[in-house]
Amino acid sequence: MKVALSGQAARLPASAGAIGGLVARFVRKSGMPLLVLYALALGAVLGLASADWATRGGYPFGGFRIGPWTAWPRAGATGADPYTRAVNARRGEIPLAVGEGLLLTAAEDDEGRTLDASCTYAIGGAVPPARAWTMTVAGRGARDPDRPHIRDGFTSTEILRRQDGRFVITLSPEAEPGNWLPSPRATGPMRLALRLYDTPAAAGVGSLDRSVVPSITRKGCAP
Amino acid sequence: MRLRLAYATLAGFVLAGIVHIAAVLAIPRLAETDAVTRARTSENLDHPQVIYALSTGETAAPQEAWLPIPDPAVAVGVCAFDLTDGPMRVSARTGPLALSLAAHGRQGAFYAVTDQAAVRGALDLVILTRAQYDQALADDDENEPSRDVRIVAPEGRGFVVVRVIAGLPSQREAANAAVQAVNCTTDAAADDSAKR
Repeated sequence: MKVALSGQAARLPASAGAIGGLVARFVRKSGMPLLVLYALALGAVLGLASADWATRGGYPFGGFRIGPWTAWPRAGATGADPYTRAVNARRGEIPLAVGEGLLLTAAEDDEGRTLDASCTYAIGGAVPPARAWTMTVAGRGARDPDRPHIRDGFTSTEILRRQDGRFVITLSPEAEPGNWLPSPRATGPMRLALRLYDTPAAAGVGSLDRSVVPSITRKGCAP
Repeated sequence: MRLRLAYATLAGFVLAGIVHIAAVLAIPRLAETDAVTRARTSENLDHPQVIYALSTGETAAPQEAWLPIPDPAVAVGVCAFDLTDGPMRVSARTGPLALSLAAHGRQGAFYAVTDQAAVRGALDLVILTRAQYDQALADDDENEPSRDVRIVAPEGRGFVVVRVIAGLPSQREAANAAVQAVNCTTDAAADDSAKR
């Protein structure tokens, strides 16, 4: 066995060297055309792969960070950047237009930790002025058919408020009193979406700050 | 030899950049799963094609919805238009539920209006080309000004999306009906000549 192995090891560099020599001789003989072919192939593969990567999933840029939330005011506008347009076209998305509303998304809590489906979060505070809003939660991929589908989100009409008009939504895997939003799956990352309809905030996202968007506080996690 | 290989690699990277930009710019034009192409099936209807109906009672939300992450409280319908057939008229009656109309082309949304802009409970949106707009202006009767909201589309094809918000689960049925109740008709060229 040992003899065979060492024999193979001795043969390998020799054959590698032979192949290398062959390639070198081939390159030298064919010269320019092969180099051109190599450059073209490199350009095509790298260019297409990077374009695919950049337009897959969410919008690569154009977001406006407000606390844990990211607002996407230009996603549906005529002046949207080419990447946003490509993402919309690939997903078949119909984004909210500027006069229609504003989408805010959050994938992390106030302290920058990824939203996890096994944890309990308190989402509360104020919402920018809007005629109506909805707060929804989604996990990655399709819904688990075995989990009972209770609700995906709350609207501004149906939410329970405190006397001062503020509210707290509890996003938790276990039932909670008040505004309970069940976690969409047992484990894994989650995303929150806050859609403001007919809002003046869409025209001037720069005027929004942390005090007018809901805070996302982690209360604890299931072991 | 080494130097030439390095040059070829460099040329490959530059080429990759060009291919990347060209591909990103070409995706909206070539995509077959984008909203403009998918909405085209609604072109022959005179009411919006419901692409996201809200679940009511036992009936779950339909599976054919192609919106990636729809809002579970908003019913969505689309009306595709092709302005070569004539201007597109979208008429909506306001109801108790919030309704919004937005006109989209391949470049993105070029106009949006909500039912708060309605005059006497009616919202009439007419989407036309520049030439059709000039024609409509010329045809206007001075004694009877038109109440249409006229929008010049930057391109010939696109769609109008109708969104109706159901604030409460009990309003979902009404929201689905409100989307269907909107009228999308092509102002035929024959009507124009008859008016003249």
